[in-house]
Amino acid sequence: MMPTEKAIEIGRELAERWTFHLETRQPEPNRLDVLLASPDDLVPFAVALRVQRIGYLTAVTGLDPGPESGMLELLYHFCQGAAVVTLRLQVPRQGAVIPTLSMIIPSAESSEREIAEMFGVTFDGLRAAGHLYLPEEWPEATYPLRKDWCPPVPAGATTAES
Amino acid sequence: MEETTGTDLFTVPIGPQHPALKEPSHFRITVDGEIVTGAVVRLGYAHRGIEKAAEARNWVRNLYLFERVCGICSHIHATAYALGVERLAGVEAPPRAQAIRVLVAELERIHSHLLWLGVAAHEAGFDTLFMYSWRDREAIMDVLEGLTGNRVNYSANLLGGVKCDVDDAQRDAILKALDVLEGRSHHYLDVVTTDALFLQRTRGIGRMTRNQAEVMGAVGPTARASGVPRDVRVDAPYAAYARYPVMRVVETAGDLEARFVVRLRELFESYRLIRYLLDNLPAGEIRGRMPRRVPQGETVSRVEAPRGELFYFLKSNGTDTPERVKVRTPTIYNLTSVVKLVVGHQLADVPMILAGIDPCFSCNDRTVQLEETNGRTRRWTWDQLHRYSLEVEHGRSL
Repeated sequence: MMPTEKAIEIGRELAERWTFHLETRQPEPNRLDVLLASPDDLVPFAVALRVQRIGYLTAVTGLDPGPESGMLELLYHFCQGAAVVTLRLQVPRQGAVIPTLSMIIPSAESSEREIAEMFGVTFDGLRAAGHLYLPEEWPEATYPLRKDWCPPVPAGATTAES
Repeated sequence: MEETTGTDLFTVPIGPQHPALKEPSHFRITVDGEIVTGAVVRLGYAHRGIEKAAEARNWVRNLYLFERVCGICSHIHATAYALGVERLAGVEAPPRAQAIRVLVAELERIHSHLLWLGVAAHEAGFDTLFMYSWRDREAIMDVLEGLTGNRVNYSANLLGGVKCDVDDAQRDAILKALDVLEGRSHHYLDVVTTDALFLQRTRGIGRMTRNQAEVMGAVGPTARASGVPRDVRVDAPYAAYARYPVMRVVETAGDLEARFVVRLRELFESYRLIRYLLDNLPAGEIRGRMPRRVPQGETVSRVEAPRGELFYFLKSNGTDTPERVKVRTPTIYNLTSVVKLVVGHQLADVPMILAGIDPCFSCNDRTVQLEETNGRTRRWTWDQLHRYSLEVEHGRSL
């Protein structure tokens, strides 16, 4: 098992030697955040992590900093032992198309489909489109985990007393 | 998730009602005669929007919300959440509280593995084993009820500690239950590795090699049965696992039989750990102070649920309400492997292979549907439900 420090060090080294400009942060001793400059960096960097055996994609988190930011953020968490290397990618709120990781990491498919329907990001090359969690009749272009979506209060909701 | 090969001759829909398990999910299995050529899975039948709901509740109320992600491994969800929030707040629960978290987590693992043993045996048509294992599981349910007051959503955790302490009577009750269960577990291990009829349903079925399991991202006992040494309790010890180390149980065969053996051997490891923990329980407080507001920041909290690695990502914006809580449950990753594994097998093996990963669809879906009862539409908003709960608890109207 690779020690945590070594995994963090490898992640940092990969980021620093990268062709594109990348910024790294270490918010906690066991975590390294790598800010990707462009979606083009995503697949090569994921492959690099996989080759260096830090390629276990634990989860993909979608973040919405709010409608005024005009952005969405995707966090790809790769784990090795206790180390968590997170690739952070900012994408435009409208019409974002980014490459899929499911070609190199099969388990990314479910995470990407979840992000696609919850945040409205399109993954180029993702085989199975369509809803994974949401109902078929879910309204189009409605992304429930975005901050500007509020769940409607159902008509006829009764009070606790009735 | 989808896996299709060859010409689809016939499609067999399985689910969403009771697809081998009493939880909803839908599989479209394509077959050529009796042989499976492809599988597609559709989830979401239990989607309750919990991640969204968390953004409208304060940190404390969310503890109870996340405990309800799963009805089987409720404690581990609350533990992952509490550990993450405590790290963001710079609070550390006292050592005795951390030990009690581990104690309840291991009791929960025992109950979950015995529950699975019963379900998996039932899928194989071995209902005697199902009834025995569920009977024995009651011993653990009684212990959990005695310890926390609840059989399912134990509510053992608080932010900053735990709610319940362990006294001598409870300690004796736990040890007594473990003695009974240990003997039974030896018997079960013997049965699942020697019963000729049962082995025909498990040995060599649903085989996944170590490389396949790693590429597929399998987690928990499913991965460890394929020789992948992945266990968060060992890789990144949380709560009190650094103080009470646990051994990783790994098998190499990668078939259904190995998944039985891994889970049963893990039971013995849990019995050992609980006995050691009860003999070496640190004295002191069981809860610390917790601020209402949590400083800005992000953290990752990973724990080993009975089904495998459970991942929480928490982001605080400095208020009393989280900015974002992301949950990734073990089943979603193990399901990827199922749709690949079933291809080439007999259709009759599909329920066993599916049950082999110990899937949990409520975990997976995490949703809230407002309730409709008896034809009469009766929908409550969260606030109404909250007010109602206060009324029941305090016996008064607010």
